[in-house]
Amino acid sequence: MRQELAQLGGGAHALAIQLLGNADDAADAVHDAFETALSRPDAYDAAKGPLKPWFLRVVRNRCFDMLRRRRDSDVPVDSLIDSCATPDEALDTAQRACAINQALARIATEKREIVVLRDYLDLSYAEIADVLRIAPGTVMSRLHRARLALKEALNTDGK
Amino acid sequence: MASKNRTIGDHVGALLSGYIDGELTQQEGQRVELHCDACADCRQELGDLRALRDDVGNARLSEMGEDVWREKMDDTTVRVSRGIGWLLFIGGILIAAGMAIYEFIIDSSIEPWVKFLFAAIYGGLALLFLSVLRQRLLERKTDKYRDVEI
Repeated sequence: MRQELAQLGGGAHALAIQLLGNADDAADAVHDAFETALSRPDAYDAAKGPLKPWFLRVVRNRCFDMLRRRRDSDVPVDSLIDSCATPDEALDTAQRACAINQALARIATEKREIVVLRDYLDLSYAEIADVLRIAPGTVMSRLHRARLALKEALNTDGK
Repeated sequence: MASKNRTIGDHVGALLSGYIDGELTQQEGQRVELHCDACADCRQELGDLRALRDDVGNARLSEMGEDVWREKMDDTTVRVSRGIGWLLFIGGILIAAGMAIYEFIIDSSIEPWVKFLFAAIYGGLALLFLSVLRQRLLERKTDKYRDVEI
């Protein structure tokens, strides 16, 4: 389980950054989730599904706990925007990755979240529904709206 | 023109996302393919969404790799074992102190006023210690710079 959790750390951190808007807070959230998972291994039931969506749900819940404590559910947009426009990053792929980061920061948290779960973490629709606790039938339409919003944000950034 | 494009795009709408994710039934997939064969706007939208999905997949949204997380988990083990160590230590001290206090109270060879005097001194010290400990713990909990290494 430890090995699997370590492999999930990077993806979980990416999701937590999108929810909390801060890499350090996100690392704390993932670390807390590790502690939860390791201290109560019985909480995960392999018969109910893979570890990845379960662990991402633990991380997500932890992020919301932190946001509640902050009393501020809106992620400060600027904190998500990486200052990545450095001259060294002249490669097209790097620039594209920067643009994606900036565009993600400009869309709503729930849209950011579902795009990251599907396109970055490669979860199936059923797994996304499990993580977000929503009806499986609503995942496709939500994801589509989120992608259109991201596309629009990218186009706005590009202008 | 824009509204016309939107209307055509809406013909298959969210199914475009389901299609690129491989989440449609065979029938739905065929519907998307047939529609895209006839509709240049939806074909374009499909290509854009595919490119977008690949771009998000290739983006680097976290800088922390597997090794970092493994180290952090090891830290967790150290922290847990340290916590257990402290628990045993404090538990032992409390039991020993309780026994000593009990012996002190039931010892009839000591005058009551001496017992009261010692109880006041040690009780006062214990209260002072607890007060300082509480303050330190509160500071530690709320100090956002506690992990900053100088």
